Amino acid sequence: MNIFRRFFNKKPQPRQPDSFLDTGNGTSYPDSPSLSRNLIRNRETIRVVFENCDDLIIHEVSLGPNHATPALIIYFSSIIKSEVLQTGLMSVLLNPQNYGGSNISLDLLKNRVIPTGQVSEERNWPAIIDGICRASVALIIDGEDGALLINMPGENHRAISQPITQSAAAGPADAFNEDINTNLALLRKRLPTSNLAVEKFMIGSVTKTEVDIVYLRDLIHKELAGEIKTRLDRIQTDGILSAGQIEEQLQDSPYSLFSGIDSSERPDKVASALLEGSAAVMTDGTPFVLLMPTTMANQMTASDDYALRYWYASFIRIIRWSALFIAALAPAIYVALISYHQELIPPSLLVTVVANREGVPFPAFVEAFFMELSFETLREAGIRLPKTFGQTISIVGTIVVGQAAVSAGIVSSGMVVIVALTAIASYSIPSFTLSNNVRLLRFFFMILGGFLGLFGIMAGVSLLSLHLCSVRSFGIPYMSPLAPLSLGDLKDTLIRVPNWMMNDRPRLTAYQTRRQSPNMKPHPPAPDDASSKRKDKPDAG
Amino acid sequence: MLDKGRISSLQLLFLLSMTELATAFLYVPTITAKAAGPDGWISLLVPVTVYASLVVLVCVSLARRYPFQVFTEYLPDVVGTIPGKLIAGISTLVLIHITSVMVVEGAQFIQTNFLTETPVLVLQSVLALVAVYGASMGIEVIARHNEMVFPIFLLSLTTLILLVCKDINLNNFRPMLENGVVPVLKGAMTPAVWRGELYIILWLYPYLNQKKEDYQAAFGMVLLAGIVSTLVVATTIGVFGDLYTARLVYAANTLARYISVAGILERLELFIVIMWVAGLIVKLGIFFHTASIAAATTLNLKNYRILVGPVALTTIIIGNIFYGSYVQVVEFLSKVWPYYGGIIQLAIPGLVLLIAVLRKKGINNEA
Repeated sequence: MNIFRRFFNKKPQPRQPDSFLDTGNGTSYPDSPSLSRNLIRNRETIRVVFENCDDLIIHEVSLGPNHATPALIIYFSSIIKSEVLQTGLMSVLLNPQNYGGSNISLDLLKNRVIPTGQVSEERNWPAIIDGICRASVALIIDGEDGALLINMPGENHRAISQPITQSAAAGPADAFNEDINTNLALLRKRLPTSNLAVEKFMIGSVTKTEVDIVYLRDLIHKELAGEIKTRLDRIQTDGILSAGQIEEQLQDSPYSLFSGIDSSERPDKVASALLEGSAAVMTDGTPFVLLMPTTMANQMTASDDYALRYWYASFIRIIRWSALFIAALAPAIYVALISYHQELIPPSLLVTVVANREGVPFPAFVEAFFMELSFETLREAGIRLPKTFGQTISIVGTIVVGQAAVSAGIVSSGMVVIVALTAIASYSIPSFTLSNNVRLLRFFFMILGGFLGLFGIMAGVSLLSLHLCSVRSFGIPYMSPLAPLSLGDLKDTLIRVPNWMMNDRPRLTAYQTRRQSPNMKPHPPAPDDASSKRKDKPDAG
Repeated sequence: MLDKGRISSLQLLFLLSMTELATAFLYVPTITAKAAGPDGWISLLVPVTVYASLVVLVCVSLARRYPFQVFTEYLPDVVGTIPGKLIAGISTLVLIHITSVMVVEGAQFIQTNFLTETPVLVLQSVLALVAVYGASMGIEVIARHNEMVFPIFLLSLTTLILLVCKDINLNNFRPMLENGVVPVLKGAMTPAVWRGELYIILWLYPYLNQKKEDYQAAFGMVLLAGIVSTLVVATTIGVFGDLYTARLVYAANTLARYISVAGILERLELFIVIMWVAGLIVKLGIFFHTASIAAATTLNLKNYRILVGPVALTTIIIGNIFYGSYVQVVEFLSKVWPYYGGIIQLAIPGLVLLIAVLRKKGINNEA
């Protein structure tokens, strides 16, 4: 057993310090971390640090009541808002009357002269370099060993638009975008409470990506927020450019297909998850917000379910769960029936199926695999192709892969029906992550169905189910409330009960479970009530 | 404890019920009808339930004395180190032995009915592999998986019975008790030890999180499995008559094949095989887990997971050496298994309980 232990639990090696990984600035880091009082030397340092950065502007000006103090204004012209720079800073600084006759100093500038609020005073190089790189204008004046950083970011992000991956027919149509402040604003607008906690992290030595943990303070289990922080702290890398990188770091079971983390670009979905005691992790630069803990039941929920009447919503839920099974199993079952269990197909259907397969040279398994692979390729091509070619791919897809393959005798028409069915089914799964997983599992099941028939498929389903039961998302079983069974929480799983019945939050995730008053069931006014009201009402006639 | 999992009383009820229903309902109608004739359903209803209740009483009151240890763990404490280890070793081997019969049963059924050209070893290996994965993930995972599988299993079984019940001929049950109660008792012997397999509660008890509901879960299983298996036997005899039932190979499978609703709903043995595979994997998972825990505690190992694979391999080897054919399996099940099971399920735990009471070992709940 010691051998096993030595094999699997390697002790973590102490990390060697790496200047690029630790600071993101590599070798061009200034020798002394603090500024000099000499403006010329400061300018030299800036030149060295920002070597080859041709879009850096170093503006030499004379400030003060008599234009007597030389100063440097340093900024990246590419990322700051130039109108603000002109009207809000330059014109103010260069007007001698603004100084009121006092001697120039950083304090004076900060408190009395510069009109914007986002001004900070920094005395060491790393902070100043960082500020310049993040859309601040640095102001260094002669004789002072400090600098003012005035933040004026240009607004280089797109406007709030419709969600791309998770559209909904009923319900709000706004989606997150790449700017984390816009995303926070969308959430704050929906949850205007001091309870909405936002904890900011900076991850990535080069990208310095802002990652925020967002949660409702009174609803979340305290350990959950702590655990997310611990896992975020573990990330030591040069750059975070997508939420997927964060997701892989937050997973409970790192090798599992199922991460137990959902991602959404819909503010309403995130808000409702927060209201159930989950936490959200937002990453700057990506419209996808991670939600944790997540169960499979959560991933099968769409925002529409709460916008539509509960009868219809429940019906759609059942359709969706069936679609999950169809998307994963339909081709596998088709292959198994055709290759091993022909006797289970009703005779009249069997005749047609066999007639269709007449002349198809491949075994059903090869045929199914080929068709599913080509469908996945089509799908991938549809995403990669420039928008203008979208039409082309759909024509090629339907005519070539659909009709032509059948008439050329490469595949049977039954197989085309199955592939179309699985494709439709896999797109009705609301969660992008889950839908991708199902798409992968389809091939696993097809192999099992091709080699061992229905027995193999059932063994595979059992294996998958056992695995799903072992997956946890921050301690919450991924399959709850189905397994472990929690009868009270089934109200929002396979069906959706009326809103006035959903009095409690999910038992496992939320810290406080009571959600609403239990007496919300609407009813017509009581008989005597009604008659008295009718009497009070002035007669219209 | 080697497994840190926790299961609820409902999960325990489902697990124990699955241990009987998963394998029993395929073989029980045939074996019972052979011995008890048209009274086979009475065998399932009365004597089997009485026997299983006895097993529950003995095993649960023994387990209550050591609520946080498994049987093989506290045996040395009750009967002394050497006899204790000896009995623990025998219990472990018996667990491995009966598990090997299950593996063989499963693979043979599938080979006979569905995949006639696939080597039986392949089928056994696939079943065992999935069950090994479950067993090494721990009892909690198996219990949760079963919580989803068992209701579906029960629902399909009920549907199956409902669909054929229009063909039941009540004359097939007459004459009632023609030859007295002796055939009824004889017919009860094999099903009794099948339901008596709930004695593995001796190894599952420590994981139960509501120890107060232990009797509810165990007796609940005796009743639930009792009702369902009685219904299965009664339906089979009612539809086919006892003489034909006794000659069937897999009665429930034939029953499913018999269904025809409006000419569309036909050949439902598909559902039988699916249910059966799902149930058998759960059952194998529980028994692999139990056998590995028993082996690990007997050998004083700290980790049971490394034993799950070897245990599964052993069961496949034993199964193929001793139970190569259907006839051998049925011979074992109807002639040897009742006595063998009775000793291991009732006599040994009863003896250990008696010694524990006399030597005042463990927690005394009666006081």
